[in-house]
Amino acid sequence: MQVRLLAFASAAQALGAAACDWQLAEASSVRDLRQQLAVDFPALAPLLPRLAIAVNGVVARPDVPVREGAEIALLPPVSGG
Amino acid sequence: MRTGLVELPLDIAAMLAAVADPACGAQAIFVGTVRDRNDPDGGREVVAIDYSAYESMAEEVLERIATDLEAAAPGLRVALLHRLGKLAVGEASIAIVAASPRRDAALAAVREALERVKSEAPIWKREIYADGGTAWREVAPLVEPPAPGVD
Repeated sequence: MQVRLLAFASAAQALGAAACDWQLAEASSVRDLRQQLAVDFPALAPLLPRLAIAVNGVVARPDVPVREGAEIALLPPVSGG
Repeated sequence: MRTGLVELPLDIAAMLAAVADPACGAQAIFVGTVRDRNDPDGGREVVAIDYSAYESMAEEVLERIATDLEAAAPGLRVALLHRLGKLAVGEASIAIVAASPRRDAALAAVREALERVKSEAPIWKREIYADGGTAWREVAPLVEPPAPGVD
């Protein structure tokens, strides 16, 4: 299935893009997605332990399922204010 | 606009007007500005900060923070704006205005809103230094908003 991958701050720098389409196995969870990110985008691997992942604009725990067409955001620690 | 992300300089007077209420006798204001060093005890000389955000989510989080605070304190009204883009030293990056019948609630709301923005809003600063270097500041792991009714 296809999802939309968004990356911010250092994650965008590591990915080399702010957004891309990404193919993910059917019935993937956020946990599966993290493992696949490291495989498909090795430059992101060192950042992964620090990244929060949002699905459709909501921070998602590892067991959250990912659906076709979801917007997946890679969110490094934040520094607003 | 009561909450959100803005590209233009923050208009504090407009924010005060947005929360104005004859029942409120206290208006508390917090304004965060770009500092000239990335660490007040030393660090590198900063000339500007470039702010970026996951905009759709950040707008929802800012609105959620204001709504949560208003729900928890009778009569409280909150305006909360964060600026995006490249800001020079001294420019305001965030402004929070709280109006309340009494001062304690207004002052507490401003403080809580700021702390929540710093841990819940997907906003990032990239510091631009006097020596030409730049670096992302990645400070606080992003946390989910507290569940409704949990304090």
